[in-house]
Amino acid sequence: MEIKKKKFFRKKDIIGWLIMLPAIILFAFYVWEPLLNSVRLSLYETKGFDLVKFVGLDNYRAVLRNPNFMAAFQNTFKYIFVSLIIGFLVPIVMAILISETVHFKGLFRIGVYFPNMIPGMATVIIWTYFFSPGAVGVLNIILSKFGVDPMVWLNNSAWTIPLIIITMTWKGAGATALIYMAAISGISPDLYEAATIDGAGIWKRIRYISIPNIFSLGKTLLILQVISVFQILYEPLVMTGGGPNNASISIMQLVYNYAFRDFHFSEAAALSVMVCMILVVLSGLYMYMTKEKQDD
Amino acid sequence: MKKKSKGMFGKYSEKKDGVIRSYDVHSKKVKALILVIMLICMVFVVVSVFPALWVFLAGFKNIKEFRTQVSIVPTHFDFSVFKDTWVKLDFAKYYFHSFIVVAGSVVCAVMFNGLLAYGLAILKPRGHKIVFGLVMWSLLIPPTTSIVALVVNINKIGLNNSYLPICMAYGANAFYVVLFKQFFEKMQKELLEAARLDGCGVIQVFTKIILPLSRPIIMVVVIFAMTASWSDFLLPYLVLNNSGKETVMVKLYQYQAARTTDVDMIRAILFSIIPPTVLFCIFQKQITDGAAAGAVKG
Repeated sequence: MEIKKKKFFRKKDIIGWLIMLPAIILFAFYVWEPLLNSVRLSLYETKGFDLVKFVGLDNYRAVLRNPNFMAAFQNTFKYIFVSLIIGFLVPIVMAILISETVHFKGLFRIGVYFPNMIPGMATVIIWTYFFSPGAVGVLNIILSKFGVDPMVWLNNSAWTIPLIIITMTWKGAGATALIYMAAISGISPDLYEAATIDGAGIWKRIRYISIPNIFSLGKTLLILQVISVFQILYEPLVMTGGGPNNASISIMQLVYNYAFRDFHFSEAAALSVMVCMILVVLSGLYMYMTKEKQDD
Repeated sequence: MKKKSKGMFGKYSEKKDGVIRSYDVHSKKVKALILVIMLICMVFVVVSVFPALWVFLAGFKNIKEFRTQVSIVPTHFDFSVFKDTWVKLDFAKYYFHSFIVVAGSVVCAVMFNGLLAYGLAILKPRGHKIVFGLVMWSLLIPPTTSIVALVVNINKIGLNNSYLPICMAYGANAFYVVLFKQFFEKMQKELLEAARLDGCGVIQVFTKIILPLSRPIIMVVVIFAMTASWSDFLLPYLVLNNSGKETVMVKLYQYQAARTTDVDMIRAILFSIIPPTVLFCIFQKQITDGAAAGAVKG
């Protein structure tokens, strides 16, 4: 009897594993194996797709010595800094304002989410036309109606990163705003009413009730945003080619150039591994914070 | 009882959330503030929608007009120019390629992730927690960091120039697994037990009981997978470039790199944003609700 029972369970286990097996194989092929394989690739000299010789950390040294690496590394901090100012605040303002409307609220929600449906590749090409220098660039046409002279936009190296972040914010802000709006509508009206009785005006209620209530969500989204900034690729690839003069080259673009322009897969892998380690730390931080939020 | 403020401000008495409460609306200052807020929100919407509108308008221009006229609105509206570009760029072909990729990706996304979630949420074979742990970790590691090794692998097993590796990629999506798993866990266990007692096998329970009951979550995953696979660029580009099987997004990048005539380029962009726009018009509620609810957990 006992043996039979055990056997039954074993069969059930085997069927369970068989059902999960196809997806497990796919996860292994697309996620787990490439992750380990990048580490292996990064330690070898490669010729085409083949490993030639074990070279230890030479690829890492080569990457760190590459002058483009320093440029991309510094740019990453610029990207993060600018995206904290523009990309982080816009969705919050959007969410707070749209939450206060009663007319056309559905239209506002759908309208601001719409850019998220536009494919990334189409988005960057559209914005390349918007930032096109000369009189017929779209933004220059609009500015000319206000009597402003044409600007050079992306060709000015000081503006490149902010303009790229504006493009990303245009695409992503509405989707993020919807998440904040869900949090804002979850705040109990009693809190606001109690604050009013204590004499708090509208600004004070935003400052002392709305903001603190979405603060922990903001922290979480902030880390997700930093993680996504590390992966910027389409924008510099299409809009600027990393220029002018490396002013907008991103780390992922450097990986792309190593691997798919120069076919130096080992150096590309070494750089991927370094990025991955940074992201794992950030992800760990994210997990820690979301866990903390659930404990509250 | 006080008189309710009439007109557009009357509706504020029904407002249930947010900072401004119905009792605030009596003051003139607050009324002005409400108008300003509405105006700003309208600006948000205009800024959000304008680029797509511009693509549509600029598509009517001919190349001379596009390069010289300092105006947003074209001088004349002739829809035949779109047809000309469609034929000239052979766009039907790339639409077809993209549709294959989207269909394959959607099937993979539902089937593989659904089965994995079935195992993790209901069957729970011994050791399933290890798999779940690994899946959760992959949720946190962005796919772009392992793209180099992945492309090397795809080339080694000879799957380059094939739709297969692109579609199958959607079968290994941790976010979809989590969505399915959360949904399955809320199902009534009695129902599944009863089906099993009636002699349904493990597979039959899945196809006859679980799938029909999971229609809402399948819809969400299908819509997410459709938009994601239509917009996908990097992996399709690295696998399909110059294979004659390019998808719409790969082709867009090629046109951009090859400096295709501006007006053809703009019409090509329009073609590329029509399918997701149509999808959004049909499923706007599911999409915006799903984005607000699912994104944080993801």
